[in-house]
Amino acid sequence: MDEQKFDYQYKDPNHGHYRELFYTYDKEGNYSKGVRFHDDSDRIFIEQFWDNQKDRIKEAHHEVLAGNKSPIYYYMEKTLMDPMTLSSQASISLWRVKRHFKPGVFTRLSEKTLAKYAKTFNITIEQLKNIE
Amino acid sequence: MINYTHHQAGHCESGTTSNLFNYYGMEISEPMAFGVGNGLYFTYIPFLKVQYAPMISFRNLPNTIFRRGTKRLGADAIVIKKFKTPKESMDALDRNLEKGIPTGLQVGVFNLPFFPPEYRMHYNMHNLVIYGKEGDLYHVSDTVMEEPQTISYNDLQRVRWVKGAFAPNGKMYWINQVDKNADLKKAVADGIAKTVYEMTKIPIPLLGTKGMRFMAKDLRKWPKKHGKEKASFYLGQILRMAEEVGSGGAGFRFIYGAFLKEAGEKFNCPGLLETSEMMGKAANKWREFSYMGARNCKSRSEPTEDYGMLADMLKEISYMEEDVYKKLDKIEI
Repeated sequence: MDEQKFDYQYKDPNHGHYRELFYTYDKEGNYSKGVRFHDDSDRIFIEQFWDNQKDRIKEAHHEVLAGNKSPIYYYMEKTLMDPMTLSSQASISLWRVKRHFKPGVFTRLSEKTLAKYAKTFNITIEQLKNIE
Repeated sequence: MINYTHHQAGHCESGTTSNLFNYYGMEISEPMAFGVGNGLYFTYIPFLKVQYAPMISFRNLPNTIFRRGTKRLGADAIVIKKFKTPKESMDALDRNLEKGIPTGLQVGVFNLPFFPPEYRMHYNMHNLVIYGKEGDLYHVSDTVMEEPQTISYNDLQRVRWVKGAFAPNGKMYWINQVDKNADLKKAVADGIAKTVYEMTKIPIPLLGTKGMRFMAKDLRKWPKKHGKEKASFYLGQILRMAEEVGSGGAGFRFIYGAFLKEAGEKFNCPGLLETSEMMGKAANKWREFSYMGARNCKSRSEPTEDYGMLADMLKEISYMEEDVYKKLDKIEI
């Protein structure tokens, strides 16, 4: 198989520092592989995903400060989880996780449960209780 | 440290398998490992949400490529599916390294320290090879990265024992011995037959080419059902799975085409060469689909391309691929 050489740099400084190996098929019917950055068209949906993720984190932060959601909700979004992932990573059942999103329920949580969450998010219990 | 050569690869598991074979002196390229080990797949599970979008997968279950690949190529390989405790798993790894065996691991991506931040998701089906230990540091060959990396004991233990869907539980695998006179022809034939079965013959509408058409049908409805913003996000998820997550482009279709071509040239089989052309065209169509789809991801609330058109395109691709598998089914290698 032919090796291709690419030398262009991706323009956005925040993305595309890492080059991947891609295979291609050209009109003459040859497969080739080469190490390059993602195409501009690929970057669009990668950025869309991260924009969406950032919006979610921002919104979660607002919700927590407004007192509608517990800090667990914010940290879940911050570590890119959904309730399902959080439930399996912290070994707490899904309906309990969802219940713990309520600020009233969160204040009554035991130290043991809080420790489970803190370990999952890789932070201390103090940080879990008071978000910045 | 073991004298292990790191090659970057398109897909983590086929790259790992191919690198391990190469280490033992058997020349198996990445596409070959991918094809023989049944890497190609398609699943669409709308009711299972991953990061708030329907689950779509272009790859087979974790460890399939290694297990089936080594079995068909007659290599003496061992897979330890899970350990009881993290300590035990790390000790087993250390023992292997002392014996001089490069060892493959299944890990979660999220806490890998050397990984690009934009790939860090809760994805537990990543594969890498450990080939040396110096003090607290392990030498890692991760096929996504251009250069070999290092990782500390604690970090490695953490990524090996991440919880969640497809939790690795310390899974490790290695090759003891390869059979250099293995019947490659039969291995290729078996690999192709199984892929054809998985892509066209399983009677579940969410798998294989039927799954693609199912997804096309849903794609048409998304803007009405979920609103334009969400439809664009879901579409982005399909494209991300196809192009981004270590797929070598077009959801592994290029790698599979390259496999068909390599096999065709090796065994002098015109049928395989023809199918490799068809596969290449289907893969290019996938690329075209992602170009078109990306436009809808750019203008999220005002789609520039019609979702119906994209759905038609997806349907066309599914028939193109189905032709490939039907043809492969009849070929005698």
